[in-house]
Amino acid sequence: MIILYFLEGSLLIFLISVIFSVIVTFLDMIGPKIIQYTIDFCIADTALNEGSVPAYMERLIEKAGGRVFLKENLVYVAAAVITVALLAALCRYLLKLTNSIAAERFVRRMRDKLFEHIMELPFSWHSENHTGDIIQRCTSDVDTIKMFVSEQLHSLVRTVIRIVVAVYFMIGINKTMTLISAVFIPVIVLYSCFFHNKIRVGFEQADSEEGRLSSTAQENLTGVRVVRAFGREKYERDRFEKQNSHYTDLWIRLIKILAAFWASNDLISGLQVMIITVVGAVFCVKDTITVGEYIAFVSYNAMLTWPVRALGRIISEMSKARVSIDRIAYIMNSEVEKDAENAVEPDMNRDIRFENVSYRYDEGLSEVVENVSFTIKAGTTVGILGGTGSGKSTLMYLLDRLYKLPEGCGKIYIGDTDIADIKASHLRKNIGLVLQEPFLFSGTLSENIGIAGNNPNMKEIREAAKIAALDDTILSFNKGYDTYVGERGVTLSGGQKQRTAIAQMLMSKPPIMVFDDSLSAVDTETDMKIRKALSENAGNSTVIIISHRITTLMHADNIIVLDKGRVAQIGNHDKLLEQDGIYKKIYDIQMQGI
Amino acid sequence: MKEENNVKLPFFGIPKLYTYIKPYLPKIILMVSLGVISSLFDSVFPIFNRFALDNFVAKKTLEGLPLFIVLYFVILIIQVVDNYVTCDLCGQVEMGMDRDLRNASFNHLQELSFDYFNRNNVGYIHARVMSDTGKIGVMVSWRMMDIIWNGAYIVWVLVMMLVMNVRLAAFVIVMVPVAAVIAMYFQKKLLVLNRKIREINSTITGNFNEGITGAKAIKSLVVEDKIKEDFEKDTEKMRRESVHSTHYSALFTSLITMLSSFALALVLWKGGNLTESGIIQIGTLSVFLSYALGLLEPVQNVIVTISEMIAVQVNVERLFRLLETESDVSDSIEVIEKYGDTFNPKKENWEPLIGDIEFKDVSFKYPDGDEYVLENFNLKVPKGTNVAIVGETGAGKSTLVNLVCRFFKPTKGQVLIDGKDAALRSQLWLHSNLGYVLQTPHLFSGSVRDNLKYGKPDATDEEIMGALRLVSAEDIVKKMEKGLDSDVGEDGDMLSTGEKQLLSFARAILADPRILILDEATSSIDTVTERAIQDAIVTVTKGRTSFVIAHRLSTIVDADIILVVRDGKITERGKHAELMKQKGYYYELFTRQFDERSFSLI
Repeated sequence: MIILYFLEGSLLIFLISVIFSVIVTFLDMIGPKIIQYTIDFCIADTALNEGSVPAYMERLIEKAGGRVFLKENLVYVAAAVITVALLAALCRYLLKLTNSIAAERFVRRMRDKLFEHIMELPFSWHSENHTGDIIQRCTSDVDTIKMFVSEQLHSLVRTVIRIVVAVYFMIGINKTMTLISAVFIPVIVLYSCFFHNKIRVGFEQADSEEGRLSSTAQENLTGVRVVRAFGREKYERDRFEKQNSHYTDLWIRLIKILAAFWASNDLISGLQVMIITVVGAVFCVKDTITVGEYIAFVSYNAMLTWPVRALGRIISEMSKARVSIDRIAYIMNSEVEKDAENAVEPDMNRDIRFENVSYRYDEGLSEVVENVSFTIKAGTTVGILGGTGSGKSTLMYLLDRLYKLPEGCGKIYIGDTDIADIKASHLRKNIGLVLQEPFLFSGTLSENIGIAGNNPNMKEIREAAKIAALDDTILSFNKGYDTYVGERGVTLSGGQKQRTAIAQMLMSKPPIMVFDDSLSAVDTETDMKIRKALSENAGNSTVIIISHRITTLMHADNIIVLDKGRVAQIGNHDKLLEQDGIYKKIYDIQMQGI
Repeated sequence: MKEENNVKLPFFGIPKLYTYIKPYLPKIILMVSLGVISSLFDSVFPIFNRFALDNFVAKKTLEGLPLFIVLYFVILIIQVVDNYVTCDLCGQVEMGMDRDLRNASFNHLQELSFDYFNRNNVGYIHARVMSDTGKIGVMVSWRMMDIIWNGAYIVWVLVMMLVMNVRLAAFVIVMVPVAAVIAMYFQKKLLVLNRKIREINSTITGNFNEGITGAKAIKSLVVEDKIKEDFEKDTEKMRRESVHSTHYSALFTSLITMLSSFALALVLWKGGNLTESGIIQIGTLSVFLSYALGLLEPVQNVIVTISEMIAVQVNVERLFRLLETESDVSDSIEVIEKYGDTFNPKKENWEPLIGDIEFKDVSFKYPDGDEYVLENFNLKVPKGTNVAIVGETGAGKSTLVNLVCRFFKPTKGQVLIDGKDAALRSQLWLHSNLGYVLQTPHLFSGSVRDNLKYGKPDATDEEIMGALRLVSAEDIVKKMEKGLDSDVGEDGDMLSTGEKQLLSFARAILADPRILILDEATSSIDTVTERAIQDAIVTVTKGRTSFVIAHRLSTIVDADIILVVRDGKITERGKHAELMKQKGYYYELFTRQFDERSFSLI
């Protein structure tokens, strides 16, 4: 089970804390018992009546020096109580500490493993699952499981110990009464289990509703500019409030059911105490048990009531934890991206060859690219031009294996190696892909630029930034390269982000560079500066540029024109201009301004 | 013990929450009363036991047993019903408060200015709305009931003890201030530690967010290991701090429980001696001790509950920091009175927006910046004017637009709309007449139709298709499996950037705004489509005041006014021909853009 996997490295400490928990439970029971027995059997007059003291108590009292001795030297008893209390305090402290050490190790491992797994999941998984939902699973479900392992399991242990101890002593007094008393335990437990199965659906529903509400809030916050620009705050409010109310009602109904469960539990255990009191009285009157035994039995039975009730509650909490475990297991059981067996790390400065590549994102959707074939010679620069949604980016994602090409949908080769046989890390390290919508990590600008490098120094970082025409811009910031960006930092403009992404890629000087419309938010002047610097620094890297600007593409060795997922034209600028095709049409439009 | 703990911290922040508690006051009062009754009944049950002992067992008779059973049963039923109702109420209060706080914070966010969103990340704000609220709900309901149940029981028992024997009770009561001092010391410590833990926790949530939303970038850069390493640093910090905090809370609980055991031992010893000397009856001592024994668990519960409530105060603080943040750009009371607020617009008082815009001596610096990006700026934009803003990346081209939209307010000067200071009318009035197409398009998850109707909820399918046709986006929708009903995915993930730009453009057009703003709205759109859009823009901007921020200068040559921005300042303005004649920066930009053929490419 997945929990055991997460428990690696903390299980032993958990067990130690359970041992302390056992000790504390016993000590907690002993202290009050000493006091109670002292009163009932040593000080009280009732003790003088024959048969009012259970046989084992007589023996215990004799061992401690006899009734009279104890009665006259109560300070010894008090000292015993204090000793027990000190011991209990020490053990309780150790219990909490070991438990916390274990729990924190456990939760850390769980978080780390989850994060690691998420990192290793294929990109297609990321696009299929909602961010809000995944985060929900990684945060609140993790907390629920932590609570379960670190607190509820302890309660379970304590509860079971109390029940076992109480039942043990009760059997020693009277078997019939023990049977009557104990018969309630399975009733409550079975009832709890039945109930827990019933309410589980409710918890699942509530959880997914919370996920939905959470996503709505998330979307509203990320799309705040759109909301404002359209003046749609009221709509957003109404939508959120509706979902919120729905979620709330779901929980209120759930709590109602829970309350009914707790109440019926209370009723059952209340009845149990009542029946034992009555039966005990009857047995006493019929002389089946002595007065002392009656008193002892009733007090043990009282010891049973609370744990049995708690058991019901713990079990219902367990159902919540189980839902969470399933939700975490969903992530952990999703298959990670795997390299082919005997994956290779070939030299990447080779020709890139697409052979009859077709791809669709989902079963029901139409093909984004259809039967695409072309070759990019190593060391050349290739431009890709194509309409919106013509599959330009998809081709690059396929090349980078962000999406895996299914069987029978063609092949992509680098040199003579099918990219499916290349180690993913090797493939991606050697393909510098600058995304259309760049992503900044929270951290400083220098950290962002240097993220893919191998402990780069400031000089290298600045060099990359210079090529990306970013150095001057960064220096104009108050904190320069130490400017904090990303989630918590300053907001960069689209063009600045794109240039950061370019610099980021340049750090690793990959043999294949892909610019996926990465200069779209950059003005023409900067665009030109960057390309000029690149051409001086690219060395013999293969460069693939996706763009809508003819001026960006026209000097490429080869230009691939895509139309609705198919290759429409291939050739260099001059050759393409001779043809009466899409390229010429676009060229004519763009050159009109001059 | 409760009162002493509240000395430093004003009632767990409950007074702050009062506005939100108020609607539930009747329920809370009922809940509390039932809770007190419940704990009274709890202390009644031992009496039944004693009664059975004294009357049946001791007297060896079963006389009156049926009546005993009936009475016992009735009280049991009352108790059960009482508990049921209390839990049910508790749930209603918890979830109700939770809902109200979530609504309040969400709604407040709808009115906060962009400056707030620039300064706080989405993950952080999200946690305030989704998790702080829940924790506060629990505090006000269940935690409070825990205090009531246990507190009432403690009070009841203490009263019983005082009635029985003041001297003996004193031994127990004397422990209370000692416990209070200990509790206060630890509370202070724990509050600080918990705050730290929460902060790390939200960093971790942020990490998850980054790891998930940035998956594409992380994979293509192959930086999984580095990101993982950073993540593990944070989880390790979390682990260390949490254990450190537990160290204190464990010490705290252990000390307090030990203390109460001491009190018991003391009572046993002294009480036993008092019995010896005949000052008190043995029966009294027995009852007294059994009550004192029963005190241990509730005292422990109260302490645990209090430390939980201490932890929640952090959430109260944070949530209220959000709720009390005032918007930098807010409507004045007079404006709200006349035009209504964000959620209750008084549309009957809204004047039609004509579209004359004037910047009058406007100076502006961003709230987090210290340099003026605009100084004494004056510009008249009559109705229907097409204003183009050009300049280098990051030169501050969006600033003017932000001011027109009132996303920020001028530091000095005024922005006049139809001759009247924009601040004299409600933001919603302005925004309702605005069409803003952003460079990074944002779509909401849902169908294409829902997204397009965003600015005009009552749009018909014909109108929608019309807008799509205008921006040449008809094919995108036709290509999709379910047409207008197709899902666009989270943040429009199922579509390419260019497609998203087209859809958001269509969305803006559909809203039929008086003022249209295109912020590099076509940067990721292919040429053929852009060409078609250019024509669309001409059609759409006719009669409307429009601001176009663009890189491709060819798209703005026909603009009525071109503003050239350099290093955050407007350096040139005029028509294309005039600017070309000036041979300034614009000229340089323009010629260079079309003079690329001579330049040898990579």
